[in-house]
Formats: sequence, structure tokens, C-alpha cells
Amino acid sequence: MSEMTKTYLQGRIVEDEVHLTLVELCRACGVHQEQVASWVVEGVLEPTGQMAQGWQFGGASLRRARLAQRLTQDLELNPAGAALVLDLLDEIEALKARIRRSGAF
Amino acid sequence: MKFKDYYEILGVERGAAQDDIKRAYRKLARKYHPDVSKAPDAEVRFKELGEAYAVLKDAEKRAAYDQMGSQWKTGQDFQPPPDWNAGFEFSGRDATSGDGQGGDFSDFFEALFGRQSGRARGPRHAMHVQGQDHHAKVLIDLADAYLGARRTISLRMPTIDAGGHVVTQERKLDVTIPKGIRPGQHLRLAGQGAPGIGEGPSGDLYLEIAFLEHRHFRVDGADVYLDLPLAPWEAALGASVTVPTPEGKVQLTVPPGSAAGRRLRLKGKGIPGNPSGDMYAVLTIALPAADTESAKDAYRAMAKAFDFNPRADLLG
Repeated sequence: MSEMTKTYLQGRIVEDEVHLTLVELCRACGVHQEQVASWVVEGVLEPTGQMAQGWQFGGASLRRARLAQRLTQDLELNPAGAALVLDLLDEIEALKARIRRSGAF
Repeated sequence: MKFKDYYEILGVERGAAQDDIKRAYRKLARKYHPDVSKAPDAEVRFKELGEAYAVLKDAEKRAAYDQMGSQWKTGQDFQPPPDWNAGFEFSGRDATSGDGQGGDFSDFFEALFGRQSGRARGPRHAMHVQGQDHHAKVLIDLADAYLGARRTISLRMPTIDAGGHVVTQERKLDVTIPKGIRPGQHLRLAGQGAPGIGEGPSGDLYLEIAFLEHRHFRVDGADVYLDLPLAPWEAALGASVTVPTPEGKVQLTVPPGSAAGRRLRLKGKGIPGNPSGDMYAVLTIALPAADTESAKDAYRAMAKAFDFNPRADLLG
């Protein structure tokens, strides 16, 4: 009976289908707007649009902002330090992807 | 309940100065931070560190903890003695600072110091506030990304009860995993986060999608890679071989003269989407063992047939 009526929730793929405003991004990451603005200054996030209130963040910003938030909170990094770590993690990810592509070679 | 030796976890002496404790924590936190560490147990270690530091950095908690004596060892069965903390007051209980992952500490910690409540966010006295967004991780199989899937996931969500305490609630959700999802992407389920306060709307739930490791396939974005072993004669003469893909077997033509490491593309056979990813077969060459007389003869015949020096380039 319940099997028959079970409804499955449909989500939207954030990276492909969603743009986030400053307010939405802050809520999704649990951070203040000033914090996000400081990451924008350091180039961690690259929104489109003029002025903070008009910023639009691509879906991929969610993962980056959450990562920056965890690093900031857990390791007490300042925005420049968080930006450096994210750059290095990107580089490691690119190297790992190269290994995945070449496999045994 | 098992005793936890917070000094041992941070690798410091019982008499360590506050500065040494901070230094030890910082160093280990960098080493075991789950976002940067390669250690398989990083997440568990990092949580332990956070808990140990939450106690030892706080003069009141540390003094109370020290009072239990030094005869305890990690992993020993433990019950806090009655009135163990008489005379101590934990001002931090609700106000504890920002670096606690609220509600995430061990039974041992909670028995001694009570539950950590999550950080209060947003204006506390506003009448209508949107609920917090929640996050969870979902593991799927590669095949689920090709076909789409339905999953029932159970979430443990910290929520605030009527009395203002943090309680963990089990919640089951039936979710559609859309075809074409790629590892590391997030699904947003609108309105499935924490309930709002007053007439504020509920928060959203974000699900981070991770793929279970597959025995044969490697995923890079929307592309899928497979190591494809060939016999030396297949690589040299060309062949038509059967290759598995996440959605079934296909026939692949290997051109003559294929070297190891060559990538053959199966266009559009990666994770579906707009555009779909590709699948790549990365060629490897497997040598048959020379373990019978006829096999040895075959290798000897090859040696005779070829005027081949694979090291010509090295010595030239």
C-alpha cells in the first residue's frame, strides 16, 4: 500500500541547473556575507553581476564555498590562506585526474 | 562507554602548557583535516582531535577532566563517578565557541560535559526566519548515473526541540537520483532542510553525490576510463574485442599496430547528459606465460622472425 503511494522527491542538480544569490549561498554554507565577500576578493569564488546584492554564483561555487568554510573554521585560516589551499587542492585534483585517464600508464 | 585519553589523542603530556596544546592541535588538525588528508581514517581522527581540543583548551573543562585522575587509559570501560564534576561550572555548554561540530562528539564527552548545541545562527529574536539548510552525502553506483535511480536515504538531522535543546532525529527520504549525475555534484531538494521559525519557510537539503569505487571503471567528470588488456597479436594485427561498459557490452575494433597506452574512444558512452561523456579504453598488453614447451617454441619463433631490439634507442 505505502509502496504504491510512495513519492520520490526530485532534486535539481546544483552544478548544472542552479545559480545562487549571495543570500542563498550564505545560507547553504552557514556563513556571513562578509565572509563570502572576502573569498570573492581573494578569487576563491567568481560571481557574475555587479555589486554584492546582484552577484550570481554558478552551482560549482557551492562546493568551493563549503570547502573554504570548513578550512576557515577548522584550521582558522584567513581568506588568503583558504584561497591558497583551494588552489593547491585544485592542482592535486588535476593531477589525480591525469592518473585516472592514463590508468596503468 | 569507553574512556578517552584526550592528552594521548593530542600527543601531549598531562602537564602541557595551553600554548603547547594549541600547537599540537593545530599541527594534527592540518594533518588529519578530511578535506586535505589522504589518511583513510582522517575523518575519525579529526573528530577525535576536535573533541580533545574542546576539552583541553577550556580551563574549566580541563580541570574537571584532570580531576578524574591519570590511571585511566583509552578504551577502558568507564562510567563517570557520581558528582564527579561537583564544584565546576561549564559556562560553555550552550555558548561554546565556533569550532565545535555541534552535536558530533562522543558519548564519553556528552556524559561528562553534556550535549554541545549547534551554533546558533541568524537573528535569534526575529519572528520569522527561514530554516537552516542541511547537507548530506549519498553514495551511488556508476550504473545509477547511467540509468537514474531511486533511493531511500536515512538522515540524522539535528533539530531544535520545543525546549530549545538539540536533538537528533532520524528521517527517511525517498529521492530520485537523476540520470546523468556526476561525482561531486549536489542535488538541491527545496524545502527539505530544517523547518523555519515562525512563518519562515523551511531550509533546503543539499545531497552531495559520491560514487562507489568500481573494480574496472574510473570516472573523470562525465568521462569513463577502462584499462583494456590485449594479447600481443591482437595489438599488432588488430582485433574486434568485446568490451564492458556500465550499460552493457559493446564490440570494439582495435586497429592494427596499437601500442600500449593508446586510448580508444567510445563516443557518447560515458555518463549520459547534454553532451554525454565519452568512454575510453586504455590499451594494455598482456603477455602469455611461457610455461609449456610449445609456448616457449612460439616465443623462440618470434625471436627468430623479428630483427627487433627494443633497447636500440637506449644505447644508440
